[in-house]
Amino acid sequence: MRIVVAIKQILDPEGITVNRRRERIFINREERIINPADKCALEAALRLKDAHGAEVIALSLGKPAADDALREALAMGADSAVLISDKALAGMDAPTAAMVLARAIERLAPFDLVLAGQTAADTGGDQTAGRLAELLGLPQVLQALELSLDGGRLQVVRLWDGKPVRAAVSLPALVAVSPLAPPARYPHGARIMNAYRQMQVSVWTAQDLGLTPEELTPNIESRGQVFPPERELGTVVEGPPAQMAGEILSLLRMRRLI
Amino acid sequence: MDFSLNEDQRMYVKMFEDFCANEVAPFAQETDHEEKPPLKQLKAASEQGFLGAIFPEKYDGAELDMISYALLMEHLGKACVSTALTINVHVALVGSAILRHGTDAQKEEFLPAMAAGEMIGAFALSESGAGSDAAALRTTAQRDGDRYILRGSKAWVTNAGIGQLLLVFARTSEEAGGKGISAFLVDVDTPGVKVGYREKTMGLRGLVTNTVYFDGAEVPAERLLGQEGQGFAIALEALDLSRVGLSAICLGAAEAALENGTRFAVEHEQFGGPIAYKQAIQNMIADSRAEIEAMRHLVHFAAWLADEGDSRLRTQAAITKLICSEYAMRIANRMLQVHGGYGYMKEYAIERIYRDLRAMEIAEGTSQILRFLIARDQFAPHGISLRP
Amino acid sequence: MDFTLPKEYELLRRMIRDFARQEIAPLAKRVDVQEEVPREVIRKAAELGMMGVPFPQEYGGMGAGELGYCILMEEIGKVCTSTATVIGAHTGIGAMAIYLDGTPEQKKKYLTPLARGEKIAAFALTEANAGSDAAAIRTRAVRDGDDFILTGSKMFITNGPIADIVSVMAVTDPSLGPRGGITAFIVEMDWKGCSVGKVEDKMGIRGSGTSELIFNEVRVPKENILGQFGAGFVTFMKTLDVGRVSLGAACLGGAQAALERSIQWAKARTQFGKAIVHNQSIQWMIANMATEIEALRSLVYRTAWMVDTGQPFTRYAAMCKLYGSEVASRCISQAVQIYGALGYSRDVEVERMFRDARIAEIFEGTNEIQRIVIASDIMRQEGVRISP
Repeated sequence: MRIVVAIKQILDPEGITVNRRRERIFINREERIINPADKCALEAALRLKDAHGAEVIALSLGKPAADDALREALAMGADSAVLISDKALAGMDAPTAAMVLARAIERLAPFDLVLAGQTAADTGGDQTAGRLAELLGLPQVLQALELSLDGGRLQVVRLWDGKPVRAAVSLPALVAVSPLAPPARYPHGARIMNAYRQMQVSVWTAQDLGLTPEELTPNIESRGQVFPPERELGTVVEGPPAQMAGEILSLLRMRRLI
Repeated sequence: MDFSLNEDQRMYVKMFEDFCANEVAPFAQETDHEEKPPLKQLKAASEQGFLGAIFPEKYDGAELDMISYALLMEHLGKACVSTALTINVHVALVGSAILRHGTDAQKEEFLPAMAAGEMIGAFALSESGAGSDAAALRTTAQRDGDRYILRGSKAWVTNAGIGQLLLVFARTSEEAGGKGISAFLVDVDTPGVKVGYREKTMGLRGLVTNTVYFDGAEVPAERLLGQEGQGFAIALEALDLSRVGLSAICLGAAEAALENGTRFAVEHEQFGGPIAYKQAIQNMIADSRAEIEAMRHLVHFAAWLADEGDSRLRTQAAITKLICSEYAMRIANRMLQVHGGYGYMKEYAIERIYRDLRAMEIAEGTSQILRFLIARDQFAPHGISLRP
Repeated sequence: MDFTLPKEYELLRRMIRDFARQEIAPLAKRVDVQEEVPREVIRKAAELGMMGVPFPQEYGGMGAGELGYCILMEEIGKVCTSTATVIGAHTGIGAMAIYLDGTPEQKKKYLTPLARGEKIAAFALTEANAGSDAAAIRTRAVRDGDDFILTGSKMFITNGPIADIVSVMAVTDPSLGPRGGITAFIVEMDWKGCSVGKVEDKMGIRGSGTSELIFNEVRVPKENILGQFGAGFVTFMKTLDVGRVSLGAACLGGAQAALERSIQWAKARTQFGKAIVHNQSIQWMIANMATEIEALRSLVYRTAWMVDTGQPFTRYAAMCKLYGSEVASRCISQAVQIYGALGYSRDVEVERMFRDARIAEIFEGTNEIQRIVIASDIMRQEGVRISP
């Protein structure tokens, strides 16, 4: 079994304060970490490896510093690591990033399972997993908590409406792992040493992936940052469905929204 | 100038030595290890009149002068710091306040009972939000006809768990700073008074220190000590005396540390002979001895000022307590070092003395507050009025 | 000159820091009160390689050198001195002696399970009158055919109650004195005649067991001679040298933790209407702590680098231990002072840290011995030989 885990290196959100009044973001402590949900995805892959044997490949798209995230993945137990890093890839939007990752995953074929974190703790986009599944033509399961192999099918416990439910999917598939999934293991100290001293991280460029400048032209233009206005608390409507629908209709009418 | 003790004082010293050797020192370790209130030591002390040490004879006191009182505290401190502090709070903080500010009726009611040990005094000044900053007190005493209603809580109330009589400082008016504070003599059994959590402390494990809650406790108006608004002044005056006592306790504990260290240096051999022959050890012993002599003179001078009613006592008590607490701690630290590994073990007295003394730089005014008081006094004649 | 920490060590520090915060810190109070580091914690730490950080991977170690080991001790020293002491006595001296002077067979047989944390090591040098003074060792090892018969008792042995494998110093030829007459042996505690004697009741590091080890005619095969026959003095001096560096690192962690707590409390505690951090007295304490900590950090990590690069480091290791233990004690005492009365309470961590810190000035060679080591090393270069 070959598992590709897509991980993203982010600035530790705990080192960041957001000052709403001054509309500024302050970085108090610049520490780069593996995005928590991605780390859970890596842990899920390693648990499959422990239970059934698997080859785990960690993949990251980012700046050269993301090498550290991949070394940490190697220290945790990944078998190999690939970093897609190229100046030509700077300033990508989410659709382009997913496309680049998909291209790299195709290059890693054959694979049985692609894992990614459900959400990134920095941008909170929640897009990559879904886009990857679409681009790779894979069935997808989102919000996964636990993975296990049952014959040829992957059994997944996933969150549905805040509650764990069972799902099953045939392989190959893509699974997005929730940040609420079991936390990652501590890497063994000796593996940490070896991850830097003995193991390699392959570096792929845009050219290696055959990406053209047109493909890399962003569809989204960033014009700056604004702070969203603080929202008032919403109204919670409760009761049987018919009654709730009636209440919602009247609320919308009162506000002249319909 | 005469540095000698008078005949009475010399006689007292012998008496204190005997008393401490027989009634206090033998129980110091168990008092610490079992966190036992020193009740049997208190009983023995009451039989000797030590629980009313500075009270006049007509209130069943021993009517000691302050120098004799300091000698008593020195000897008690040498034997067991927990016991010494328990008595110092009872006599010098609570007893002295009643003695100086109580009405005749109050004195008659409380002092003989205190001297007999039927009533142990507890001092309730600090609050969780007001330690050094007494003006920030939030406990209130509201006048209601012929009584006051107390509400609030007090932290670190020494003797509360074994005491019968609480000297409580509470706000009777919103007047700024310390001016709105009054002192009350509160029976611990008064409905609405609850003695809470006993602090678990690093050292002084025989001392009983609790949080005390006042939930609408009714105190008769005749239990007001002094005048309304006079409480803060009463507290400061009591602290002057108790700082002298506490300094004497530091002196005694430092002497005990030095004696223990000296004995160990004579008995313990390394590199072919007693470590007393090592210069590094000699220096530690010499510095400690020199500092102890300096402490002794400070203590006796402050006690003499107290006997004379000299107004210099306020600052001198702060100076004495600052120096004595810091010197005592470093002497204990050195003597523990002389003991090497043995000093870290609970079966050696130095281990307890070291933990006990760490409180002294904090209790009854931290070193930082004392430095502020001394600096304020120093700058005052120069037209600079310091605020904390 | 490049002070950048290699990347693998950054990741190692992060891993250990997370582990210390999540798995050790929450237990630190329990460890102190129940006087035991749970075996479960040791097992978890061992699973991550933390019981054999400086040893080569071929013997089950982490292969992270003295640098990695100092990082470990600093991070664990921040949260629990007892746990750091258990790991330190195991790795830094007990197993270290076998790593430094063991034969390949001894390393395979003994170092490997120790580095993996499957077995616990201790280092047995000290006796009632022989710690720093090797000439006074009384434990004897007498040749009997191919074996030695070991008889004697060692005291104040860290990890004594839990150790499986102990490096023991014994006299093999009383006529030769420390140089030539002492031999180190590897002893398995489940051998006939080995037993644990009195367990000490200590001021601090109460989770780390300190006991007497008794050897009653224990038969030790000659394969278990550690290092050269008659060169036990060299073995233990070398071992203690290395151990002192990481002890300095643990002190660094303790001092750093005291500083962090002082800052937090100084920001949170209000007196006289403002956070106490706005007092210069407090600011000075914090500035002094931070300065001493940075000086210590440089000293410790430079010395670790000297160890890892094979340079002579004896003098600097003694400085790490001497300065480290004093900085830790000073910083933690100041943290207690900043906390005020609360710092004296066993409900807060700084109280435990204060008791824990004091041992570092004593064990693994008292600070007086460190000064002798430093002065001797300096004077040797001047052609002067110093005897203690």
